[in-house]
Amino acid sequence: MRSRFRYVLLVPALLFALAPVYWMLTISLKSEVDQFATPPPWFVFTPTLDHYYDAFVTRGFGEYLLNSAIVSVSSTICALVIGTLAAYALTRFELPWRLNRHLSLWILSTRMFPAIVTAVPLFLMMRDLRLLNTRASLIIVYTAFNLPFVVWMMRGFFADLPRDLEEAALVDGDSRLGALVRVVLPLVAPGLAATAVFCLIISWNEFLFALVLTQTDAAMTLPVGIAGRVTQYEIKWGVMSAAASVALVPILVFALALQKYLVRGLSLGAVKG
Amino acid sequence: MPKSRRFFSAQNRREWLLPALFIAPALAVLLSLSIYPLFYSITISLQQETSSGVVWTLGNFTRLFSDNFFLIAMVHTFVYAVAALSCEFLLGLGLALLLNSRMRGRGLLRASLLVPMMLPSVVVGVIWRLMLNPDFGAINGTLRQLGISTEGLTWTASPKLAMLSVIAVDVWQWTPFVFLVLLAGLQAIPEEPYEAALIDGSSRWQTFWHVTLPLLKPSILIVLLLRTMDLLRVFDQIFILTEGGPGFTTETISLYIYRTAFRFFDFGYAAAMSFVLLALTNVISVIYIKFLQAKDAI
Amino acid sequence: MGIEFRNVSKHFGGASVVDDLSLEIRDGEFVVLLGPSGCGKTTTLRMLAGLETVSSGDIFIDSERVNDVPTQHRDLAMVFQSYALYPHMTIAENIGYPLRVRKFDKAQRVERVNRVAAMLEIESLLERKPRQLSGGERQRVALARAIVREPRAYLMDEPLSNLDARLRVQMRGELKRLQHQLGTTTIYVTHDQAEAMTLASLVAVMRKGRLQQFDTPMNIYNCPANRFVAEFVGSPSMNFIEGERTTIGIRPEHIQIFSEPRDGAIAASVYVTELMGNETFVFLSFGTNRLIARAPADFRAEVESKVWLQLAKDKMHYFDPKSGESLTQRHKV
Repeated sequence: MRSRFRYVLLVPALLFALAPVYWMLTISLKSEVDQFATPPPWFVFTPTLDHYYDAFVTRGFGEYLLNSAIVSVSSTICALVIGTLAAYALTRFELPWRLNRHLSLWILSTRMFPAIVTAVPLFLMMRDLRLLNTRASLIIVYTAFNLPFVVWMMRGFFADLPRDLEEAALVDGDSRLGALVRVVLPLVAPGLAATAVFCLIISWNEFLFALVLTQTDAAMTLPVGIAGRVTQYEIKWGVMSAAASVALVPILVFALALQKYLVRGLSLGAVKG
Repeated sequence: MPKSRRFFSAQNRREWLLPALFIAPALAVLLSLSIYPLFYSITISLQQETSSGVVWTLGNFTRLFSDNFFLIAMVHTFVYAVAALSCEFLLGLGLALLLNSRMRGRGLLRASLLVPMMLPSVVVGVIWRLMLNPDFGAINGTLRQLGISTEGLTWTASPKLAMLSVIAVDVWQWTPFVFLVLLAGLQAIPEEPYEAALIDGSSRWQTFWHVTLPLLKPSILIVLLLRTMDLLRVFDQIFILTEGGPGFTTETISLYIYRTAFRFFDFGYAAAMSFVLLALTNVISVIYIKFLQAKDAI
Repeated sequence: MGIEFRNVSKHFGGASVVDDLSLEIRDGEFVVLLGPSGCGKTTTLRMLAGLETVSSGDIFIDSERVNDVPTQHRDLAMVFQSYALYPHMTIAENIGYPLRVRKFDKAQRVERVNRVAAMLEIESLLERKPRQLSGGERQRVALARAIVREPRAYLMDEPLSNLDARLRVQMRGELKRLQHQLGTTTIYVTHDQAEAMTLASLVAVMRKGRLQQFDTPMNIYNCPANRFVAEFVGSPSMNFIEGERTTIGIRPEHIQIFSEPRDGAIAASVYVTELMGNETFVFLSFGTNRLIARAPADFRAEVESKVWLQLAKDKMHYFDPKSGESLTQRHKV
């Protein structure tokens, strides 16, 4: 009896999570007539791709998409390289004055800042450096944004690796750096991949810093582009939904791929899902 | 015997160079982009433009006490945080307890529940503006189909319902997170304590209270910590859904700071408010972390 | 090629894990560091490898002081207790790794790897990954990786302890032959005294960080320097009869059991017998003492039955009851 009850709960839970997303997807595919129809047709309607064309070709969302992609990928790569090196050092080398622990916690704490607290001064700093409205400013900021996360995640993965293998590599004649590259990194590759995907998702979704640092089409990312139009007076919901639907596609793909590491990542490594 | 199995044991004085090189870039990035901005912020918060130029003053901070908008924004932030957290926690915990068993379709369930929390906040905003649209949105549409009148149910446009709507959206997006983390925590609990409790004759409620909850504490604390931090600094969804309106009814502290800085260009005052927010989140996270360290979860 | 430890000590916090160790090892020797867990033998090995720093004292390899020489430049090979095979590489890549980091070209690597694999009879495994191999096979791969480079010495950290009993005995013999064939200096750590006795040309017995005795296996067995060494080596262990001014030690094989009284024989009663198949262990008690003796396979006696024991006088050992030092005068072989 109990297990059937559980399955019954499953359905509303799934509906609850997915129905609104589905709704938006349908809006993006419905003609204007269908959109405003009452009662709203959930399944039966003739789909159209007009809104997608409108959004990405006519109204320039394609450029926002490109900006988002460039910024996300670049900042992820930077954060991964810098963060993984730091994580390795913090895990394997014992520093004086218990610095390992203090540095790790300090790095974690920078993630706790509310974004707005650093957004205001960063805006002013970027303005002084004439970096406003450039992709570079976002890449730099996002790298800093993702760095604590990378360090914290990779620390966990490195700690899980017994140090026997690195010692064997040293005795075999390899340098520390060589051992890191040839022995350690291949073994933490799944962890690296998971961390990379997390960073991509975080960067892709980021809104506040992008909003503050980019106001022109040159560097505007997809989330900001969508938001800008939403707050206008006459809202073209079809176009909005089309843009939003495209914005969520990479997320869905990554979420499915990442399932296994998700809980660990979101709880900053404290809970192993 | 050896202090820690994780560290390399053979480190001569000379070997500090490599770790230093490895850690330096990360420190440089964080110092320049996370710490330096704070100092910059302090500086501008202590300055004000007057007719005779820029002066050093505590004016921005004293203004906080007399600024009603600031206090209201704080109240809104707390209400938002407490309400959303309670709902998410109770729902998430309940679901986790009920669904804590091996069943088929678990992977599918997990993947589907991931979706709301992985979405960009703007997309969440768009989705719910669509859903909550009084005229053609799915919510009102369904209500009307059920024969319920949707007169006055303008959700995000209604001063009375706007806060409720925003909270509901947050619950929609983040209950899955609470659920997943608590579920993982539950499944990490071994069978033995339950079996021992059964043999000891403990009732369901007693088992829950004395066995499950204590063993679940680390996960609970983590979830509460992360959600509280996120809720206190909420910005994105509210910006899209209501922009703090209608009027001032859903203005939270982050939104108010944003408006002060980027609509009114009063950076000094915005900086001062940021520090209050930062202090607040710091205090709360320190409290949580103290609990966590005691439980050895980190 | 010699290895020398000169007054080497290692401290962790306040505790002294290795205490003032001095040892000289000549080229080609098979030296076993023997002792119970925690005696410092593994730490000593790791200090030699460069995986632990030396708190005080010096280590010399080929008359060169190596305290500050990093591990990768010491030209030693090590077989870890866990084998430490690289899980993501094939067996061939594992074995070839030391050559790869020394920039040997591909042809040379392949040739050497194949040669070594043939020596250890693992050619058929070369394309597999470590997780597909059994314990015994992994152990051979670890050995292969060590010998492929022709290092100055082999360091082995309890390499046989993860194998089952039968495989262990088999590998013991093969290891000995291999070392004989290659002639390279070997330093081997174990807590198993049988391994030490069978493999070593010299044994260094350690206890709580201090060297107890450094000698040939035969001398360690026949002329132990103190009670600890006497008790640790030999299975079943030596019997001790506590006296006020001396403690007498006698090995089980040096006790003869008679069913009738004899001149100079001690009366004792049988506690229990264990039939081992090739011999019988007889547990005896007299007074407050318990002894074990080895008897022929056909020896039978009832529990509680009275017997008479004769202890071989020239095989008896005498120890100081307080310090445990040996008081025996004996010729060493």
